[in-house]
Amino acid sequence: MLPRFVPATVPCRLAGTTKCFHSKVPGLLSFRDANASVNALVHIAPPERVDGRLDLRVAVKDNICTSGMPTTCSSAMLLGFTSPFDATVVELLQAEGAQLIGKTNCDEFGMGSLNTYSFHNPVINPFQAAGSTVQWTDRERRSAGGSSGGSAASVAAGLKESALATDTGGSIRLPASYCGVVGLKPSYGLVSRWGVVSYADSLDCVGVMARSVDTVKKLFDVISSYDPKDPTAAHPRARKKAVKASHASWLRAPGESLKGLRIGIPQEYFPSELDASTLKPLRRVLEYLKSRDATLIPVSLPTTPYALSAYYVISSAEASSNMARYDGVQYGYFSPTPPDLDKTKAANVYAHSRSSGFGNEVQKRILLGTYALSADAFDNYFLQAQRVRNLVRADFDRVFAVPNVLSPTRRKNKAAEEGIHVLLHPSAIRTAPPLESRDDAQESDESVLDAYVQDVLNVPASLAGLPAMSVPAGLGEDGWPVGVSIVGQWGSDELVMEVGRECERADLAVD
Amino acid sequence: MLWLAHARKLATLPPALRHARCYSARVKDDSRWPGWDVVVGIEVHAQIKSRKKLFSDAITYSGLANVSVSPFDAAFPGTLPRLNPKCVELGVRTAVALNANVQRRSAFDRKHYFYADLPAGYQITQHYAPFATGGQLQLEINDTCVRIKQIQLEQDTGKSTFDPRNQESSIDLNRAGVGLMEIVSEPDMRSPEEAGQYVRALQALLRAVGSSDGNMEQGSLRCDVNVSVNRRGEPLGTRCEIKNLNSVKFIMVAITSEVRRQIALLENGGSVLQETRGFNEDKAETYSSRSKEDAPDYRYMPDPNLPPLLIGETYVSQIRETMPELPDATRARLLGLGLSRRDADVLMDVDSGREVKDDGVLAPGPVAYFDEVSRGRDPKVVVNWITHELLGQLAFREKAFSNNPIDAKQMGELIDLVQSGKITGTAGKTLLRHMLDNCSAEMPAELASELSLIADDGAALRKWCTQAIKALTQEADVVRGGNVNVVNKILGHVMKASKGRADAKAARAMLLKLLKGEERDRPKGEKPGDS
Repeated sequence: MLPRFVPATVPCRLAGTTKCFHSKVPGLLSFRDANASVNALVHIAPPERVDGRLDLRVAVKDNICTSGMPTTCSSAMLLGFTSPFDATVVELLQAEGAQLIGKTNCDEFGMGSLNTYSFHNPVINPFQAAGSTVQWTDRERRSAGGSSGGSAASVAAGLKESALATDTGGSIRLPASYCGVVGLKPSYGLVSRWGVVSYADSLDCVGVMARSVDTVKKLFDVISSYDPKDPTAAHPRARKKAVKASHASWLRAPGESLKGLRIGIPQEYFPSELDASTLKPLRRVLEYLKSRDATLIPVSLPTTPYALSAYYVISSAEASSNMARYDGVQYGYFSPTPPDLDKTKAANVYAHSRSSGFGNEVQKRILLGTYALSADAFDNYFLQAQRVRNLVRADFDRVFAVPNVLSPTRRKNKAAEEGIHVLLHPSAIRTAPPLESRDDAQESDESVLDAYVQDVLNVPASLAGLPAMSVPAGLGEDGWPVGVSIVGQWGSDELVMEVGRECERADLAVD
Repeated sequence: MLWLAHARKLATLPPALRHARCYSARVKDDSRWPGWDVVVGIEVHAQIKSRKKLFSDAITYSGLANVSVSPFDAAFPGTLPRLNPKCVELGVRTAVALNANVQRRSAFDRKHYFYADLPAGYQITQHYAPFATGGQLQLEINDTCVRIKQIQLEQDTGKSTFDPRNQESSIDLNRAGVGLMEIVSEPDMRSPEEAGQYVRALQALLRAVGSSDGNMEQGSLRCDVNVSVNRRGEPLGTRCEIKNLNSVKFIMVAITSEVRRQIALLENGGSVLQETRGFNEDKAETYSSRSKEDAPDYRYMPDPNLPPLLIGETYVSQIRETMPELPDATRARLLGLGLSRRDADVLMDVDSGREVKDDGVLAPGPVAYFDEVSRGRDPKVVVNWITHELLGQLAFREKAFSNNPIDAKQMGELIDLVQSGKITGTAGKTLLRHMLDNCSAEMPAELASELSLIADDGAALRKWCTQAIKALTQEADVVRGGNVNVVNKILGHVMKASKGRADAKAARAMLLKLLKGEERDRPKGEKPGDS
C-alpha cells in the first residue's frame, strides 16, 4: 500500500538535522507499524504521485480542513466529519505539488499541552534516549507535547519531512521542543486561517514543523501569502513594510558572521518551575552565537508573569464562543436524546450532545470562557485580560530595535540603537514529561496545573502575535531533547529563521 | 405646507436643539385613556437589500429552502466572515437619510445564545460600538419628531418553522447571515398611531434610499415595540417589549392592547413587570413570553475575526452626494414645481411601491418618469397626464407602473402634440390608450397620423360643419331661430364625422359662425363658450 514510506528509518544525513534517534526505529518497521507505536497520524491518505516544485510529503494537523480526508480536531464531536472545502494553506501546498500524507493527532480542538486530550488517544513521543537498551516499540512513554503532538512526532519519527500545525499558545513550539524538531509559529496574520478550525481566533496561527529550518522556510514561503478570505490576514503593504523595517534594522551579508546582531535574553523566561538541567544546552547555543559575533543582552519583559492568566482568559473566552457551533444540528456528533427529556428547550437537546461529544478539557475551557464573558465577570476578566495583552505587546515593542509596523502609535523606537533584534529563551520548562498510564483516568490537579505552566514561556509571543520558532538545542541531562525559542518583532519571520538556522548549527557544532 | 416649513426649520437647527425640539413633551389627553401617558420606543430590524449576505458570498434569496447557504452561513468549522462592503454602503445611506452620525470607528461583537436557527451559536452584531448614532425621523402627525438612538449592522438568523402535527421543527438557512440594520428609536412616540406612522415613514425612507425593501409581510422588516404607561406627571412606567410584530396594523393593535393591559393592572393596584411579550394576532392580545429573571446573558464578546469598521468622512460625503433623493426632499421639490399636494402625493405613493433591486439599485418610479417628461414642459400639464391619464389607465388595466410600455420620450411627444394643438385632447387620450393596449414602440406623431388623429387645419372643420348643417337642416333652422342649445346636436355629427379629430370648441364656434353669419345683421347673440 505505502511503498514510498517503508522503511521508516531516517538517515541523519539530511542537512541541519538534530542529533538523531531515528536509527533506533528498526529498519524493518513498516510505516503503519511505526505510526501505530507513535499514534501520530490519525488518518493516512492513499499514496499518490504528484509532480511539483515541492518534493515534499506533508502531514496536516487534524484541525486544518481537507476536503479529501476527515477533519476531526481529535474530537468525538467531529468524528467522521469531512469538510466540504480545503484550507487555504492546503490549497497552496497542493498547488506547489506537495503531497498530503495524512492528518495528525492533536489535543481536542488544539486545547492542551501534552497531546493527551485526544479522542484518538495520546501521541507517544518517538524519541528514545541514547542509553536505552529496550526495543524502540517498548521505549519510555513520554509526551510528544501539545497540542500539535502528532505533527511533531510524525516529523521526528520520520513518517514524513514536514507537517502543518497550529499554534495558539505554544502548540507548535512545545511539541517541537519535546520531540527535537523545528517548529515555527509565524507572525499572526501572515498565514491564512481560512479552513483552520478556530480555537481562539485572535491567537490561532498556522505554522510549520520539520526537521530543519530550511524545510520549514520552504513551506513557510509557500503558505505565507495574503488571503482575502481571512479577515485577519495581514495586508501585503504591512508585510512589505515589516520586512523593510527588519532589514533596515539588521541584515546579514551572505557568508558573514552575526556581527551587529543583538540577541535579548529575557530574565522573566527563567521561572522557578524551569528545570535547571535544560540550561546546559541553552548555554551552549548562547556560547556559539557569541562566537559568531552576536551580542547577548539581558532584557526584562515585566508583564510576562501576567501573560499566562491573560492568555487563559482570552483563549477560553474565544473557545467558549467558537465551540458553540458544535451542537449536532448542522453536522457532527448528535447524541439521541432520552425520551423523558424536555425538548421544548433547544438548550436541553444541545446539552445532551455537547456533554457527551466534548472531552473534559474542552468542557473545562468552555465553562471558564463562558464565565469570563458573563455580564458580571466581563470587565474583571475579559477586559482585564485584554489590558494585560496590550501591556505584553508594549513590553515587546519596548525592547525590540525593529519597530512594530502594526502599532497605531508608532513612536520612533527609543531603543533603536540599544534595542535587540530577536529574543532567545528556553522553549519549555523541562524535557518531555512522562505520560501517565492509560488506566490513570483521573488526573491530579497538580499535573493539570503543570500542563498550564508549560505554556508560560510561549504565550507572550502568541498574545503579541509575534513570530517564534523552537529549534533543537541538544539534549537535557535526562538525554531527552531540549529546544530554544527565537522570538522576533511582528513580520521579522525571516530574521527569526535566520537566527534559528544559526542555533541549528550550534547544535551540530557541539556534537 | 405647515409641515414642510417646519421641516426646513429643523434642518437648519444645530443637532442639540433639534433633539430638544424632538423631545419636547406633548401632553395631550387621549380619550381612550384619559389621564395616562403612553410611551413607545421601537426597534426595527430591516433586511439590507444587498445581493450577497453580510459576511458570505451566498446570494440573498428566499425561495426554495436551504439552497443559498455557504459553509460560513451554516457555521462550518474553519470558515471566517468577510464583511460585504455593499451592506456598509446601504447602512451608511440609511444613516445619512436619518440624519445620524456615522461613526468613524465601529466594531462587531458576538451575541451568544443557543437556538437551532442560529448555527454558530452566536449572532454577529454591533453591541458595543454601532456604526451610527443619534438621528431623527420626522412624522407627519402631531408635528412629531422621533429620535434615532443608534443603527447597527448585524446578521439575520435562519428561519425555523414548527409543525405542531409532527412535533417537528424545520430550519431554513437561506436567511441565515443576511444583513440586517437594527434601527433603535428613543421612546419618543406617544400613541399607537404615532408608532404606526413612524414605521410607515421609516419604511418609505428605507425604500427611497434603496437600503431595504421594507416588506413587512415577507419579513424583511420586523419590529420589536417597547411600551410603558404612566399617570400624567408621574415618572415613566416599567416597560414591556412586544417582539416580532410584522405589520403596521398589528403594531397599533398590539400597543393599544398592551396599553390597556398595563393601565388595568395599575388601576387595580398591581404593577407592571418588565418582561418580553408576544402578540396573539387572533385574539389581538399580548402574552407573556419571558420575564426579566429569565433574560439570557448574551455574553457579548468583540468578534476576534473582524477588524474594526473604519468609515472615513470622504466616504460618507461621497455617499451623501450620490444618494437617491429622500421623500421629504422629493415632496418639497414637486410642490415647488407648482404641483398640487394631491398630485405630489399620488406620484410619491406610486413611487414608494417601485422595486428596490439588489445592492441599493432602485427601479425608476413615476417621480423619475415625471422628472424626465417634464423637462422643458409645463410640470402641471405633465403631472395631469401622468396622474390622471397614464396612472389611471394603468390601474384600469391592473398593470404596475413598472410595466408601463410608454417611455418618457413617447409620453413627452404625446403631450407636445396635444399642447401644440396638432391633436386634440380627446385624440391624445385615444392615442395613449392605443399605445398602452398595443405596447407600441412607435412615436406618437407617427401613430397619430396612422390613426388619422391629426387635428384638421380649418378647411376640414369647415367642410365637416357645412356637411353637418346640410345633413341636419331642421336642427340648423332651429339654431338659426335662436335656440342655440340645439347646436350641440349638430356638433355631435361633426365629431362623429371627424372621428374625434375635430376640436369640439372650435367646431362649435365654427357652426355658430356659419349659422349665424347668414343673419349677421340680427342683433341677438349668445355668449360664446357656454356649452
